[in-house]
Amino acid sequence: MSVFHTRPALRWLVPTGTALAIIGGGAAVGTFASAAEPSLPERSAAQLLVDLQTARLDGLSGTVIKRADLGLPSLPGIGGQGSAELTSLISGTHTLRVWHAGPDKTRLALLGTLGETDVIRNGSDVWVWDSQQNEARHSTLGVGGGAVPKGRPDHLPSTPQEAAEQALAAIDPSTEVSVGRSATIAGRDAYELVLEPRDETSLVDQIKIAIDAGEHVPLRFQIIPQGTRTPAFEIAFTQVDFERPDPAQFAFNPPPGTKVTEEPLTADKPATSPASLERPTVVGTGWTSVLVAKVPQLAAVADADAQGGQADLVRSILGGLPKVSGDWGSGRLLKGKVFTALATDDGRVLIGAVTPERLYEVAQGNR
Amino acid sequence: MSAVDAVGDAAPSGVGTATGIGTAAEGGPAAGLDRTGGTGMGSDGQRIRRPGRAVGTRFFRSELRLIFGRRRNQAGMLALAAVPVIIAVAMRVTDVPAEGHNAPGFFSSITSNGFFVALAALGVELGLFLPIAVAAIAGDSVAGEANLGTLRYLLTVPVGRNRLLAVKYAGIVVFAFTVTLLVASVGLVAGLALFGGGPVTLLSGTQVGFGDGLLRLLAVCGYLAVGLCALGAVGLFVSTLTEQPMGATIAITMLSVTSFVLDQIPQLDWLHPYLLTHHWQAFGELLRDPVEFDALRPGLLSAAAYIAVFLSAAWARFGARDVTS
Repeated sequence: MSVFHTRPALRWLVPTGTALAIIGGGAAVGTFASAAEPSLPERSAAQLLVDLQTARLDGLSGTVIKRADLGLPSLPGIGGQGSAELTSLISGTHTLRVWHAGPDKTRLALLGTLGETDVIRNGSDVWVWDSQQNEARHSTLGVGGGAVPKGRPDHLPSTPQEAAEQALAAIDPSTEVSVGRSATIAGRDAYELVLEPRDETSLVDQIKIAIDAGEHVPLRFQIIPQGTRTPAFEIAFTQVDFERPDPAQFAFNPPPGTKVTEEPLTADKPATSPASLERPTVVGTGWTSVLVAKVPQLAAVADADAQGGQADLVRSILGGLPKVSGDWGSGRLLKGKVFTALATDDGRVLIGAVTPERLYEVAQGNR
Repeated sequence: MSAVDAVGDAAPSGVGTATGIGTAAEGGPAAGLDRTGGTGMGSDGQRIRRPGRAVGTRFFRSELRLIFGRRRNQAGMLALAAVPVIIAVAMRVTDVPAEGHNAPGFFSSITSNGFFVALAALGVELGLFLPIAVAAIAGDSVAGEANLGTLRYLLTVPVGRNRLLAVKYAGIVVFAFTVTLLVASVGLVAGLALFGGGPVTLLSGTQVGFGDGLLRLLAVCGYLAVGLCALGAVGLFVSTLTEQPMGATIAITMLSVTSFVLDQIPQLDWLHPYLLTHHWQAFGELLRDPVEFDALRPGLLSAAAYIAVFLSAAWARFGARDVTS
């Protein structure tokens, strides 16, 4: 201690050192955790695919972080951190907690700062609980069971499994499948499966799926857009436990004072589409398929002086987008990181994970 | 150095320290001793085992009397305690329907269970009132003594500088825990009186018994108080920088408000985990079912880091400083 009396200025080394140690220690832990590459026995891409499809999941509970940076313009009432609204999942960073004990017992909790939205399936009962609105929605699945309705227009995968399933469905000859570097995720060793679209017009550069070496369950899912290394969309476990969770996790009884609504099953109901809408068509296959929908109302709203709050909202959103034109006509372009959307002035909407040029091409051929 | 040691060893430390700090009184020859002497005094509390050690908690107790005995602090605590009462009465009188859209925090649950008055009050006061209260005490801790001219007398009573800092910080910690518990308990009493109790509905939609709810409320208070203790450590450091307690208090309040504001700016999300106040809202984790204690860890670690850095900074600053008032 005595050196601190003779040279009091040296005392400042202590807080500085403490601060540096804390910051440096934190950074080092992060770096080592991401740099550590566990050595795992070789496994081919085909083997990993089989592993994924044959994985039997008895039980699982864990915490999932979802990051979406799709390059969307910020829309009022959508997205944001700390929100527990299901629609906010479309952008920003979110924490979810999942429990799984067989296909008919699942619970998913979207954690907001001081709120929570739970989707609980227990047998044939499906509950959606919203703590901020203090309301619960209940629906009953048919006798045969069936899947949890996925008809939400904003449905984005909420677990790495779900995301991986959607990606694997897209595997076809246009996809190059390879094995990437192994990684440690949520403290577990994992293989990484890399899916790469061969088509140059795709905005997706790679899709990476990290698969648990022991349980063959996807632990992390990333979409990496062209021209960058940072994922535009990522779902990863930060903590995972393969014990079967307590059945009490799946029992939900609406607390007294809750507004409970009974909902019929909405599996096939087109959620937001007006009746006059034509069924959208899909042009192309695989990664570069483009969805084309005719929305005559859009054209009416865009140029006429249609009144009403919704028209104003649509106009203000469209008005903020860059105007584009070409042989195919003219319209507004929304360019995200992994997808592009084109709203033409004659009332067509084209969406795909492709470059704008490809959309123009489709718009030209699809008049 | 030998001169200082000689003073420290030979004389009862009261005299020794008086020599050390007495810049004005000693004049010319002692001026050279000033800094080292002043610093030496901080350590002779450790080097010399003097009978004064037996005093033990006396200084600490007098510090607590100072904090809780002052009229202004009592008035401040009264204001803190008034908030939950106002919330409870307002909710009772206006009788707003329970399902409000985007009702902040726990307000929508108050009418069904008085328990939530405590949580709503904590949530409301966390943004400004509680930090101001802690800032007032922390800002006053060292700068207040310096301002009143009592700091050097405190140090001449055989109290080492390290011990002084430790006691001052302990006082801040006790205050932080007391005010959080005060707000919670007043809220609980007001809520139970006006709305009644019963099983508590958690954020996850499950219900737990009232006793379990109380335990969770206690844990929430503990978690928030730890966060306030981190603010108190920053405050203690700021307080050693100045002799103006008001200035220190304002600076600490501004720090906490700035931290809250920065936390709201989405473009700075890389900065958020390092902000002092960022993890405070995580107290909601204690109201889920099941409780994931891992989610509280970043908040506690960040508080511990702030406390370590700023307490050592306060020690560095205060130990090396000339105490002239």
